[in-house]
Amino acid sequence: MAAARAIARRAFADGRARTASFALLFGLVALVQVTGYEHSFPTLKDRLDFAHSFGDNKAVRLFYGVPHDLLSVGGYVSWRVGGILTIFAAMWGLLAAVRALRTEEEAGRQELVLAGAVRRGTAFVAPMVAVAAGVVVLWTAALAGLLVGGLAAGESAYLALATVSPALVFVGLGALASQLAASRRVALEIGTAALGLALALRIVADTTSSLEFLRWVTPLGWSEEMRAFTGSQPGVLVLPLLASVALLVVAAAIARGRDVGSGLIATRDSRAPRLGLLSSATAQALRGERGSLAGWLVGIGFFAVVFGLLSDTFATAHLSAAIKEELKKLGGATIVTPSGALGFYFLFFVLAIGLFCCAQIAALRREESDQRLETLLSLPVGRVRWLGGRLALAVLGSVALALAAGLLAWAGAATQGVGVSLPDMLGAGANCLPAALLFLAIGMLAFAVVPRASAGITYGLVSVAFVWELFGALLDVPAWTLDLSPFHHVGLVPAQPFKATAAAVMLALAAAAALGAIRIFRRRDVVGA
Amino acid sequence: MSSAIQAEGLSKRYGDTLALDSLDLTVAEGEVYGYLGPNGAGKTTTIRLLLGLHRPSAGRAEVFGIDAWRDPVSAHRRLAYVAGEPFLWPALTSAETFEFMATLHGGADVIYRDLLIERFKLDTEKKVRALSKGNRQKVQLVAALASRADLLILDEPTSGLDPLMEMAFRESVHEAKERGQTVFLSSHILSEVEALCDRVGILREGRLVDEGTLDALRHLSAHTVEITFEDEPPELGPLAGVEVTRAGARALRCEVSGPIGPLIAALANARVVALTSREPSLEEIFLHHYDHGSSGSG
Repeated sequence: MAAARAIARRAFADGRARTASFALLFGLVALVQVTGYEHSFPTLKDRLDFAHSFGDNKAVRLFYGVPHDLLSVGGYVSWRVGGILTIFAAMWGLLAAVRALRTEEEAGRQELVLAGAVRRGTAFVAPMVAVAAGVVVLWTAALAGLLVGGLAAGESAYLALATVSPALVFVGLGALASQLAASRRVALEIGTAALGLALALRIVADTTSSLEFLRWVTPLGWSEEMRAFTGSQPGVLVLPLLASVALLVVAAAIARGRDVGSGLIATRDSRAPRLGLLSSATAQALRGERGSLAGWLVGIGFFAVVFGLLSDTFATAHLSAAIKEELKKLGGATIVTPSGALGFYFLFFVLAIGLFCCAQIAALRREESDQRLETLLSLPVGRVRWLGGRLALAVLGSVALALAAGLLAWAGAATQGVGVSLPDMLGAGANCLPAALLFLAIGMLAFAVVPRASAGITYGLVSVAFVWELFGALLDVPAWTLDLSPFHHVGLVPAQPFKATAAAVMLALAAAAALGAIRIFRRRDVVGA
Repeated sequence: MSSAIQAEGLSKRYGDTLALDSLDLTVAEGEVYGYLGPNGAGKTTTIRLLLGLHRPSAGRAEVFGIDAWRDPVSAHRRLAYVAGEPFLWPALTSAETFEFMATLHGGADVIYRDLLIERFKLDTEKKVRALSKGNRQKVQLVAALASRADLLILDEPTSGLDPLMEMAFRESVHEAKERGQTVFLSSHILSEVEALCDRVGILREGRLVDEGTLDALRHLSAHTVEITFEDEPPELGPLAGVEVTRAGARALRCEVSGPIGPLIAALANARVVALTSREPSLEEIFLHHYDHGSSGSG
């Protein structure tokens, strides 16, 4: 029992930075939804207008799911919080489970634990208990946000439960993926694919009335069907609980029966040499990253097509003055036109490409902390060439993602007979780049100055800047605080003109940060884990 | 003869810890230099400074006259490095790793490489992630040796190798020496250093406490003389530079650090059955420095 406690404590401590940042996000988003709604729609008439214009809008459903009551604070908050935070809850569950199980095993630490007087069952259950404690932390944070906003305690607790319920399922999925795959990377790929599928099913169910039943096969849909504040259906809670328990039981059974360090999916460890992409350190980095780049392309491409398909749904909506006012705060685009809607959607691609840049910084740092960088730099490979090469890869990857988003959104819109031109949409894609590349350069600077914290800093900056741009405007905060977020300086192309000055300033800052990063990196020690 | 490695006043401080304290070191071209020290003495720190991976807090290091920190790429064209822990690319096979490292290095002796692969019994189609630590170490070694670099910097290269592979390693170092390559061998396996190295430096707590050829180090240290008598050993009395201990019922062991004459004179009338004299092993030299260090007198 003492060993189990020690393992659980260790696992909880390992994940505390991630759990704390997600908890902060949960609390803030919950609070902002409550206050934002009360602020933007103070009267019943405002709320009726809002419900009338947005209730049936497919594009809005794509992001947030189906609204059941837009006239009460609770109903609105339930809809919005459910739409956003459930995805984050699922992501957290996946990351936490894989971190606690497969990462430990891949690093050989699980072997060390099992060499002690610890049963296999304990080594599986104890970290899962720690992860469950993390779910409780997230639940508490969401609840706190709702309560501070002034919602009723009982219903708030239930909404918070519905919001974190996908985390339970994805903890189970992450645990199972950790048994199937022998590496953290493949386990996360399996889990991410499952999350993508769950999200795609929810979107299809929420936007296509003939396929509504699909909501019942995705954990994100179950959370919707719990209908906090809008006629609760607590019985639905059985579904995520059952799914989670079933997945964990299967995972535990596999964990008991297999060799430590292995996965159920057989990996081929031998093959004839493949000599492509080994001609330089940069080529080899591309060889290592091409799989994940393909994943990003598929993900962004999928949403680009969907955004294109849905780009004209606002045109039929009747918007009141209050709604237009709210939308104006989100960047001033006239979202009622297809190009306006696309311009607004593309703000999410700035986020997505920004996150891709974060992943590049994390990969850089992993190369250093795994000490492969030491091996590389003891060969005749210069530091500037290495870092410059990785920078070039990240920039080219970002450009490829941006142009793919533009091209596929155009293709999706074209099938609906929406009149946006291909050059305009490629422009909308390219318009995402200055802000995303600024994040990349800041991440590189962090990598040069504080290597161990660099990935965390970069992910944190991108998330905070995006949340601030999306919700800060609803809170009537001083304008200069909004100006701090690079997202605030992205023109909503193609509806708005390209903000050339802002883009030039961001690119100049990015170039300066990147040059500074290279200079500093040249002068610092190479530091391992 | 010009020097392959030259360090002057080389120091490295990490926070409060002085990991390397004003190291002066010269390794001549064509020499096999053994760099000895217990764990944490500063061997790996020295190597990271020689490779320009870490920046000296003071002093400088040169490889073939090239500043290791300012121009590492030029320096690395002439050297190959084997790290104490093999950190390679898990998704590449050994064959792919050889190709990759050779490309970055600007070529490799492919015929010699094939011979080394045979000698070290490597399965080159296996991915690095499926190899044991010893086998990954062999991948590093083969890549470094096949580069035919002028200088080989080896950081505890045989940790994880079995005795057969250790012999293969020694053979390869001999070949490198015959070809005129310089070898900088950091190790704490004394027999290995004794078998391979022309000169030895002993590092303790960041300082070079002794350096020289093995012969010179031996001459500076005590000889061991063991004497067996017909019966009870005689009382030898105080002799300058000789430390006498009992080594059994009819034997004495004498540590002689000066000339051996006074001891021989004192034994003139004793009934000696057997007398052996041997030079100190490297292990004894090493322990001598280490013990003195830990008791505060070194």
